[in-house]
Amino acid sequence: MFKLDRKLVTITGVALVGVTLALSSTFAVAGSIDGAASIYKSKSGAIDGGVIYPRVKGTYTAYKYNEQSTKGVNFGRTPTANELKAWDIDALPDGTGLPEGEGSVELGDELFEAQCAVCHGDFGGGGQGYPQLAGGNQDKDKNGIIITLKNQRVYGSVDAPKRTVGTYWPVATTLFTYIRDSMPYAHPKSLTNNEVYAITAYILAQNGLSVDGEDMDDDEFVLNKEKLAKVVLPNRNGFYPNIDDPNAQEDIRAFFADRAKNIGAGIRCMKDCKDPGGKDGKTPAAVMKIKYEMKDVVPPYAYAKDLPPKKEVGLQHPGKEAYEVNCVVCHKTDAMGAPAVGDKQAWEATLTQGIDKVYENSIKGKGGMPPKGGTSLSDDKIKEIVDYMIEASK
Amino acid sequence: MNKTFEVEESNSVSRREFFKKTASVSAIAATSILAPATLLADDENIIHHTKWGTTLGDEVNKNPYGVPSAYEHNTVRRTSALMSSAGDMHAAISMSPLHELSGIITPNGLHFTRTHNGVAHIDPNKFRLMIHGLVEKPIVLTLEQLKRYPSESRILVLECPSNSAAEWKGPQFGTLQFVKGMMSCAEWTGVRLKTILDDLGLKPEAKWMLAEGSDGSEMSRTVPIEKVLDDAMIVWGQNGEALRPEQGYPVRLMLPGWEANLCVKWLKRLEFGDKPWYAKEETSKYTALTASGKAIQHFYANEVNSIITSPCPEKDWKDLEKGDLVEIEGLAWSGHGTINGVDISFDGGKNWVEAHLKGLVLPKAWTRFSYMYKYEGKPLLLQSRSYDDSKNVQPTVNQEKAVVGVEGVYHRNAIITWKVTDMGEVSNVQIRS
Repeated sequence: MFKLDRKLVTITGVALVGVTLALSSTFAVAGSIDGAASIYKSKSGAIDGGVIYPRVKGTYTAYKYNEQSTKGVNFGRTPTANELKAWDIDALPDGTGLPEGEGSVELGDELFEAQCAVCHGDFGGGGQGYPQLAGGNQDKDKNGIIITLKNQRVYGSVDAPKRTVGTYWPVATTLFTYIRDSMPYAHPKSLTNNEVYAITAYILAQNGLSVDGEDMDDDEFVLNKEKLAKVVLPNRNGFYPNIDDPNAQEDIRAFFADRAKNIGAGIRCMKDCKDPGGKDGKTPAAVMKIKYEMKDVVPPYAYAKDLPPKKEVGLQHPGKEAYEVNCVVCHKTDAMGAPAVGDKQAWEATLTQGIDKVYENSIKGKGGMPPKGGTSLSDDKIKEIVDYMIEASK
Repeated sequence: MNKTFEVEESNSVSRREFFKKTASVSAIAATSILAPATLLADDENIIHHTKWGTTLGDEVNKNPYGVPSAYEHNTVRRTSALMSSAGDMHAAISMSPLHELSGIITPNGLHFTRTHNGVAHIDPNKFRLMIHGLVEKPIVLTLEQLKRYPSESRILVLECPSNSAAEWKGPQFGTLQFVKGMMSCAEWTGVRLKTILDDLGLKPEAKWMLAEGSDGSEMSRTVPIEKVLDDAMIVWGQNGEALRPEQGYPVRLMLPGWEANLCVKWLKRLEFGDKPWYAKEETSKYTALTASGKAIQHFYANEVNSIITSPCPEKDWKDLEKGDLVEIEGLAWSGHGTINGVDISFDGGKNWVEAHLKGLVLPKAWTRFSYMYKYEGKPLLLQSRSYDDSKNVQPTVNQEKAVVGVEGVYHRNAIITWKVTDMGEVSNVQIRS
């Protein structure tokens, strides 16, 4: 690629024969990226690579604004110490903010099997359509880059790059805070700090990691805040621009200032444009059609301007709403091994053990399903939900 | 080629085909459909009174909160199992029906929606916003107190950085709604964060802000202080009414031009610090893995982009006749600034003409473009390419792929190609090597 003054015109390498033409005024005007439409006062150098629009004399781009001072607007109150303690629980990569507590890989194993494997697969190995947490090859090249992350599913090649905790995640404290605040998926914030340490330990162990030379893949291993702060994940340096040093924001600005190099950019060619690419960078572009069109959308595609079909109106089953809040995640399909609602055969098979046994399993838990699906609903409500699921599967 | 025949075979007969067909039924030589109306059969819809013209309509306030015409029931958001985890629709994306939108404002019921743990329903009486960390004066605000701050309104595009993510390795979806529907544009009303911070007193060592949501996923992101002090807002108004639950009711963060994931919904807490937090949605996700094996993190602004919305697969040209003058219309936007212009190609990117911008041209908002085209019934490879006042030009598939590869997932802004057949059918293809 050969660039002339980008302000005037940029031409592709293959158009080099046309340099003289390109410099003629007609082409330069047509190819200008400034155009005549830079309608607002702006200055370049925003951290994201874009422009900043100054607020001048009551005008901000096309908007007017009230120039009167807002200094002194003052609503709200100071949070109490307990309020801060309740909400300010985030943690930084260096461990600042992590709570007291500890948990073993052994306990983590137990909790993971009961509450996490249903979505994340046995040992966090994925397979249920939710994020895979462990596995993937962590081997690095001579530059310290995880080799499998260079996999590109193009030109008929290779597996997908795996983005697990061991191959992709940069920081282990994220795992702790995310599990504590956002997991288990259907019942977030239901785990104690000790349990979260245990599950975090288990996931790190499944990724074959060690801390301070201590192998974590051992049931006896116990994780606490000091140890978690010391865990260095294999892909810690796999991200850019740098956001860690005191000048991080200048590094980010420099990165996004060179968008052509760092994130790709187009060229405003107007005539006889060539666009080679491919493995050798020289293959001419051609038309690629959809191989297999994804048409399975909800609601189905429809464009008619007609009246909607009349719905049958009936009383809603009393268990339906609670089902949709608490159970649908696992029971919508059979992907997690649970009988899917609507699957007549699966429910007939389930009911061969008798309705009382089905009630009992739903209340006490079975296989990957925790007691009452991890809810704190009453036994009667759980039975009502089961009744609905059976009714909806007839 | 008998184009008319093809159209008449289809189930839906266009208004124009209707006139032509009835003309031939009346066995009068129709030398031109523009000739005197006496040559045409009469349209029943004109000759006779209509049902709605001869009966009493609804009472004025039958719907205290209005709803669209029942005939528009197909104008809805749509989702797909591919936009979810294992078909579970609590962590999923619902796409805006761009083919049915006009102008630059998305109605609130059609705004695209992305949730990580379902749509949270927050009791506004129990809503609290905490702002603390490296500020002189930390505060807690109720919703009423927050709304006491002076407000501004801005029309801004919100785009999920996964928009078109299914298209990196080749075209996959066959409709505009699913090729580009992870975005919408609305007028947002709220307070500039700078206005609040002027009073709280930001400490000089504050370099980053953590924004945290209160939904089940506790969605969190780290924002550089420069953006906070430039144009960041806390918004509670969406197109003149309260935010919809799907958009973060009662309050969300708004970072104009930046990926919608950063505009944290159901906002609960803003903390100022001197180091970035490394939240889950800025590490394991929302980082763009490039062919080098390294990933771009803190990927902020959505790039310069555009899409032709008419024609599109849902709104094709099958009813056009050779010689018809028709408008090509589309949307352009850039998270970096303001759209300066849009070019259109009919031959898959070899040659380009300049389109015309129309309507409001606002920074970090949808901008409509238009081009009057004389339809010739020839096959076309229709593309649009936008450029902005930040010197960005939308790349081709090859140009983008050469830098980031095909596994990046996020921030795809390569030029989209509609293939138009000689019959006027429109489909999604890519021009790539």
